Amino acid sequence: MPDSKKSSLLDELVEALRCLPSVGPRSAQRMAFHLLQHDRHGALKLSTVLSDALNNIHHCQQCNNFTEALICDLCSSTSRDDSVLCVVESPADLLMMEHTLAYKGMYFVLMGKISPLDGIGPQEIGLPRLIKRVENSAIKEIIIATNFTVEGEATSHAIHEILKPFNIKISRIARGVPVGGELEYVDSGTLAQAIIERREAQF
Amino acid sequence: MKSSILKINEEVAFVLHSIPWRETSQIVEVFTKNYGRIPLIAKGSKRPRSPIRGLLQPFQPLRISWSGNNELRTLRNAEWIGGIPQLSGSYIYSGFYLNELLIRLLPRDDPHQLLFEKYYTTIQSLSYKDKIEPVLRSLELTILKELGYSPLLTHDGESDTPIIPDKKYIFDFEKGLIQSRTDSENRVQFSGKTLLDLSNNDFTDTTTLTESKLLMRILLNQCLGDKDLQTRRVLQELPLL
Repeated sequence: MPDSKKSSLLDELVEALRCLPSVGPRSAQRMAFHLLQHDRHGALKLSTVLSDALNNIHHCQQCNNFTEALICDLCSSTSRDDSVLCVVESPADLLMMEHTLAYKGMYFVLMGKISPLDGIGPQEIGLPRLIKRVENSAIKEIIIATNFTVEGEATSHAIHEILKPFNIKISRIARGVPVGGELEYVDSGTLAQAIIERREAQF
Repeated sequence: MKSSILKINEEVAFVLHSIPWRETSQIVEVFTKNYGRIPLIAKGSKRPRSPIRGLLQPFQPLRISWSGNNELRTLRNAEWIGGIPQLSGSYIYSGFYLNELLIRLLPRDDPHQLLFEKYYTTIQSLSYKDKIEPVLRSLELTILKELGYSPLLTHDGESDTPIIPDKKYIFDFEKGLIQSRTDSENRVQFSGKTLLDLSNNDFTDTTTLTESKLLMRILLNQCLGDKDLQTRRVLQELPLL
């Protein structure tokens, strides 16, 4: 490549941009040139907001989600039911739960899942913080809403084990045929599990 | 040298582990019946609408097709076979342990049909919540036997005489299982009955179960070297919380 005159700072910028997901060397270079050539104002804004965010956003003391405050808006809200706690893997999962409008309780965000083969155990995700959250609280029910992947299920089991001594109701979100799902088109794995985990018909 | 791309169709396999690759793909380590353990790249399998997104999970038998001549081959298709309910609770952790053992001990591209069959029935047993310990010991022994790391369980490694049930034996790294002498008092001892039970895959006796766990641990550690299993560490962490 005829880029022998490329300044080292530019190299550094390109390299730094590559930390973003799905950004390879080509896109990183395009982004760098775009910011320097066409949008210096936007670049400046990005750099200040990014450093502000890094300095001020941390984990909520209660739910472990990202927030600027000590305790996030959701946790300090008075209109939510503080007797139920829903445990999710990621902030994206929390947003999805909120989107349903079906849940009005509190949350705890693990920021990960247990994956022993990757060396990620209960300590690495926020399980000790979850125990602290449950201790001396008014929580009457824990809803485990980790993913229905093998790792999500392993995490769910660990949560169940560590919270058992607290003698509170622990439930797991249900799985099965999706809303509007037609059996003919549902994948076999889901259908098989739906049969295994069938429940008594209640109307 | 092969000039055409090798294509394998509809091979029975289990996913052992997968790691994300780029935004929408993943590299899946699979254990197949006729081709052993191989790495596959599952392109686009992390896309929200990918038909195999939810399929490439451990502990579920799959029928997979792949192609490629390099070490990392390309997954072309995966189908659900079924018949094994998903593992639950602590059985998932046992499953992780077995998968890590296979990844650490089984060389890639080394077919072991017998071990595969055994793994299949073991996962089945775990899914039906059979007693965990005998199931694990039995698979551990099969792994050791298949890879040639198991000492002779029916004969003394020194005198070549049959193992006697009520005598004590110790494991020697060079000779295998040999009869315990007065100078081997501080070594881990195994009763002859345990060794014979092990060779018959019989774990009904509780002493056999405890002693074989120790023996398997010694034999496996010898194969694993200095790097301990991640799953063992995580399992130890669980009750500590």
